[in-house]
Amino acid sequence: MLLEVRDLHVEFRTRDGVAKAVNGVDYQVDAGETLAVLGESGSGKSVTAQAVMGILDMPPGRITGGEVLFRGRDLLTLKEDERRRVRGAEMAMIFQDALSSLNPVLSVGDQLGEMFVVHRGMSKKDARARAVELMDRVRIPAARERVKQYPHQFSGGMRQRIMIAMALALEPALIIADEPTTALDVTVQAQVMELLAELRREYRMGLILITHDLGVVADVADRIAVMYAGRIVESAPVHDLYKAPAHPYTRGLLDSVPRLDLKGRDLCAIKGLPPNLANVPPGCAFHPRCPMARDVCRTDVPPLYEVSETRGSACHFWRECLHG
Amino acid sequence: MSEQHYESERVVAVTGVGGTVDLGTDGTETPAKAPGGPGGPGGPGPRGRPRSLWSDAWRDLRRNPVFIVSGLVICFLVLISLWPSAIASGSPLECDLAKAQEGSQAGHPFGFDGQGCDVYTRTVHGARTSVAVGVCATLGVAVLGSVLGALAGYFGGVWDAVLSRVTDVFFAIPVVLGGLVLLSVITSNTVWPVIGFIVLLGWPQIARIARGSVITVKQNDYVQAARALGASHTRLLLRHIAPNAVAPVIVVATIALGTYIALEATLSYLGVGLKPPSVSWGIDISAASPYIRNAPHALLWPSGALAITVLAFIMLGDAVRDALDPKLR
Amino acid sequence: MAEPILEVSRLVKHYPLTRGVLFRKQVGTVRAVDGVDFALGRGETLGIVGESGCGKSTVAKMLVNLERPTAGSIRYKGEDITRLSGRALKAVRRNIQMVFQDPYTSLNPRMTVGDIIGEPYDIHPEAAPRGDRRRRVQELLDVVGLDPEYVNRYPHQFSGGQRQRIGIARGLALRPEVIVADEPVSALDVSVQAQVINLMDRLQSEFDLAYVFIAHDLSIVRHISDRVGVMYLGRIVETGTDTEIYDHPTHPYTQALLSAVPVPDPRARERRERILLSGDVPSPTNVPSGCRFRTRCWKARERCAVEVPALAVPEEFRAAGGPAAHDSACHFAEEKKVVAEEHREGPA
Repeated sequence: MLLEVRDLHVEFRTRDGVAKAVNGVDYQVDAGETLAVLGESGSGKSVTAQAVMGILDMPPGRITGGEVLFRGRDLLTLKEDERRRVRGAEMAMIFQDALSSLNPVLSVGDQLGEMFVVHRGMSKKDARARAVELMDRVRIPAARERVKQYPHQFSGGMRQRIMIAMALALEPALIIADEPTTALDVTVQAQVMELLAELRREYRMGLILITHDLGVVADVADRIAVMYAGRIVESAPVHDLYKAPAHPYTRGLLDSVPRLDLKGRDLCAIKGLPPNLANVPPGCAFHPRCPMARDVCRTDVPPLYEVSETRGSACHFWRECLHG
Repeated sequence: MSEQHYESERVVAVTGVGGTVDLGTDGTETPAKAPGGPGGPGGPGPRGRPRSLWSDAWRDLRRNPVFIVSGLVICFLVLISLWPSAIASGSPLECDLAKAQEGSQAGHPFGFDGQGCDVYTRTVHGARTSVAVGVCATLGVAVLGSVLGALAGYFGGVWDAVLSRVTDVFFAIPVVLGGLVLLSVITSNTVWPVIGFIVLLGWPQIARIARGSVITVKQNDYVQAARALGASHTRLLLRHIAPNAVAPVIVVATIALGTYIALEATLSYLGVGLKPPSVSWGIDISAASPYIRNAPHALLWPSGALAITVLAFIMLGDAVRDALDPKLR
Repeated sequence: MAEPILEVSRLVKHYPLTRGVLFRKQVGTVRAVDGVDFALGRGETLGIVGESGCGKSTVAKMLVNLERPTAGSIRYKGEDITRLSGRALKAVRRNIQMVFQDPYTSLNPRMTVGDIIGEPYDIHPEAAPRGDRRRRVQELLDVVGLDPEYVNRYPHQFSGGQRQRIGIARGLALRPEVIVADEPVSALDVSVQAQVINLMDRLQSEFDLAYVFIAHDLSIVRHISDRVGVMYLGRIVETGTDTEIYDHPTHPYTQALLSAVPVPDPRARERRERILLSGDVPSPTNVPSGCRFRTRCWKARERCAVEVPALAVPEEFRAAGGPAAHDSACHFAEEKKVVAEEHREGPA
């Protein structure tokens, strides 16, 4: 197993109290596999990824428990400088907003080359050559000329390609992409997703794709983990999940998005709002919004029940949900 | 990075709400039965009490020791400038040359200055000048600056271009030199010429702040929404833009108030602000400086009072900025 | 189509690009909207889709008179509203209202919910007698699914979805006939989007509203619209009923756009043919000659560079009729099915 997150807990201390952003998350990613982490804002999907990458702002964040095993080694116990060596070289991250993730006063060539200078000790000239190579690889036209340009001279889609090139630079084993295409237009989004999928196959990388878009997930993921209020509520191979969700939240999400290919269907909105993380409902966090909720849901936190060998659902009534 | 930012912001936003609201089964919303007390841990007071930026800011300020200390100092200053005789019964103009430069003694805790005037009485009475100049000049600057700045920012175009060039010109005038030149021709010995001069030179600073702030606020959708409803310019400016744009003006004006007090003292020291027999810390500092070896106390007290006053206002401005700055919240 | 309530013809908005501060010099033109025509029927929903920078938001602003068009006309019940001012403009504004994209910036943080929803009555005092306003505001809150007791709360006490409901209530206050909604759900979470869409659906029939629904999300537009216009670089390139556009697109841009939308069904992965466009949308300051889409179009030929294709039913479909016979601005229009019909068994 390439990456294994076990029972991760993260809190944020705010002036209004402690917000439990991640409450016991488990997931695994294998080499060459794409795991989609699906959730709405505040579900803890990005916080989990930041904890895995080791870029969580602490304070206000705090990891209060769990393990992040990368190739069997617990990253949370590493010292900061060891951690830094893992970051970039063995795992890399792609962010949503490429413009603010790139330094506006350095040319893209310098920023790409810096990875090689810092991590590989290359000369500036060699690093520049590698930068051009990378830009070619992510299919930026006229790479040799454009390597000297600055981030604002590129379009949104091209900037996201540069981010991808940067993440790929040291050929990491794992890439975490946090809403990589959310800020992009749909035609550009398709280009970027295609590129990511292709590169993942080529390098046999593990890919964690964090998103709220059920369509993107269906397009590229192998496995999917649905998060709600800081927990994984359902985890399944992507085909199984879309065919028959085993958690009412997943079902609700699938029924609430309008689809291009299904006209005239009533949208079944999930009632209510995601919970306040400083004040998560007792029992199952989803129970106030759940159409299937019963007494036991208000008192007992459901564990991740094993639905099948590859599937889990944190619902007391997953059987009903699956077949109903 | 943006998602990360958003998520953590969201955590704050969600927890900061005084009683979140749930959607009922039929889509109608009913107030949540928030377990663990209204608004969650450490949340605001009773649910349903409106919370605005100002009440949030006030909540922050009350807990900020910098604000408490500077606030107390300023309250004290305002009180003694209104009723100086409450703590200094003598007249600041009653001087006895025989006692010149004498040190502290019974009934005269700060001693006497070069003219034999009681330093304690003069220092207490000097507060009035400083507070008057500070408050009036700041009010003048704030009103003139924010009106001109807001109009330029709101209407834009030629007016904005003209205002920007005019403020540039004013920024190019060295303040002290300008004061020496302009005020030396004025013979009136009141605070008004000084206040007028400060307003004349100070408004461009506020105008710039107000202009920028208005331009930022103007782009918000709620201003567009009101425009789409057919709101008049007056309504847009007074109801939608001004309340949202005023915070930076207040912060800068508070800090400026301290510097205006220092400026009055500087001008009086140079002999172009207030002149004797007026009472001002600047005059006293000026008068005491020749005797600094023999009677350092005569210099120490008025300069100390001045320094503390200026500092108090600057600290207050800092505290207000911290409380109002949305980036820190 | 029902009797048109709003008719837009040859609508143009150009922004001059200037240099210099006091003495401005025009150095170029941003062609944000460059000749848009459409009509909106009473009680109908017209969806306008397009990518960022295609001019759809500028169209929205001109419809509610936040921007004055450079040329062209917008007729409300036959009267051109683009030249109106003063009292006449104010009267028209009552009937065309807007719902904004960002629920976080569209409500004044210093005003209570009651003041926000009641403001239309302050501006148009003739719309409601003074004593009646509070009751009306509470009624509106109820209509959009919020507790009428919330009148004294401030916007930041609400979530994004609830704020959007407040924005919709404000838009409804004057009982308009047309609501222009500019990306009304794109800032909301998936599970909340559906709530707001359903609300808008319900309000439409309740108040007999006509919507101009502007969005980049093609699935949502299909869900809510009766007719759809696809915009590219300041122009509508294809327009028709939702079935005509989604199931029988004839313009290559529409086809590419539709094929790029990820469908939430993993089985569609193999089945679907994706048209990947090369490159980016050209800048509106430097619009390609002839057909604007030709720089990214796989069908482009010489004719496309010299002759601007008109938005009309293409010759080859005109005689045959059927769903492919709708307006499409392409010299080489041909029907291509890109959205696979799909009927998922057993959605609850």
